[in-house]
Amino acid sequence: MDVKYINPFINSFTTVMPQLGFQSIEKGEVSVKGRNLENDGVIIVVGIVGEIKGNVVYCLELECAKKIASTMMMGMPVIEFDDMAQSALSELSNMLTANAATSFAEMGISLDISTPTLLYGEKISVKMNSDKVLCIELIADTIPIHVNISFD
Amino acid sequence: MEGLRVVIVDDSPFSIAVIRGILEDQGIEVVGEASSLEEVKVVVAETRPTLVTMDMTLPGTDGLECTRAIHKIDKTVKIIIISAMMDDEIIKESKKSNASAYLQKPVEADSLITTIQRIVNSEELFLVLENDYPFVFKESLLDALNKMTKTRLHFKTENSYREEHLSNGLTIIMGIIGRFSGRMFIDLTMQTATEIARAVLKREPAGHEEIVSVLGEFSNIVSGNACSILNRGQKAFGLRVAPPTIMHGEQVHITAPSYKTFTAVAETSFGEIVLNVGFQRGDDHWM
Repeated sequence: MDVKYINPFINSFTTVMPQLGFQSIEKGEVSVKGRNLENDGVIIVVGIVGEIKGNVVYCLELECAKKIASTMMMGMPVIEFDDMAQSALSELSNMLTANAATSFAEMGISLDISTPTLLYGEKISVKMNSDKVLCIELIADTIPIHVNISFD
Repeated sequence: MEGLRVVIVDDSPFSIAVIRGILEDQGIEVVGEASSLEEVKVVVAETRPTLVTMDMTLPGTDGLECTRAIHKIDKTVKIIIISAMMDDEIIKESKKSNASAYLQKPVEADSLITTIQRIVNSEELFLVLENDYPFVFKESLLDALNKMTKTRLHFKTENSYREEHLSNGLTIIMGIIGRFSGRMFIDLTMQTATEIARAVLKREPAGHEEIVSVLGEFSNIVSGNACSILNRGQKAFGLRVAPPTIMHGEQVHITAPSYKTFTAVAETSFGEIVLNVGFQRGDDHWM
């Protein structure tokens, strides 16, 4: 996994999140993980096809997902992780991945993205499509989002 | 472009006359005109157009507000914004308001007609996909199971409800990319997955890891074959499949996306397999 693949995702986060009403954007840890991930909360899978093929899997805790949905909806309180909140998070993953795809295009790598699939639950084991998964922690207004990038 | 019914929204009688001229020269029927938010609502509700050309600056309102008002009456109406102004910000706002295209005034006959053609083609192409994909994916599941395990399956239930799905234990997600993007997932119990893996491998699976890999490859074959068949029918689909991502857990909820999906439950000799597929209407006629 090439580290140059990190920047498009950091760039998209720092571009998209302020547009949605988030004030402070930080980059957390970057690590390389194996194929199997364990996660509690919300998982959003976006498929990628083009010069690189793979998946981007966004993971965040349920409470964090609600907070993000609330900010995206102009501060409307989000008590349940309902249709509206799910739709906000799906849209967020779509915007982040599409924006990263634009950065990849600028690097000369063209790729297209699938629609997001959103799941939630507890103790979800995720098996990614490659042995080396690049994990970037990105933080918006103290809310951490883990972006797991797995390219074939 | 037969059967196309157009409403022209503009506050300038001159612009209306120009646009009407271009459309009528091509035999496109203009069913109404409007120049304010109130008129837009009345004309659209009464004439039920397929397409609206929309000016951006209108007295007391704007093209975006009118676009949203039209979609409240009928979501399927296609809207082409035709405005003297054109910058990145306003194009972005138009996309966000679900307009289908943006053209700058003075509008040329060629570009207006090409844009309409593209929107109509895209809609027709999507209807073909929507009509064909449930059968093709079902056949592909049946065929893959038959080839890999020498067993048959039959479909118990089918529906297109927009509802959340509680996983049976193992979910394989395949992103689909092409002229229209979408996704497929296959969901089953670990028990069923284990038995399928045993039948495919013709021996006891080495463990959880191997079972999951078999099901990943199985899903890859189902979606890959289905997309190939759809592409053969309509080259313009250009569908391709992202590699599988596999989820395993006790209480995993797979939420319904914003677009319609198709679910079929297959009864197999190993247990039930849930197949879910859906595609989103694209907005890729944007230029």
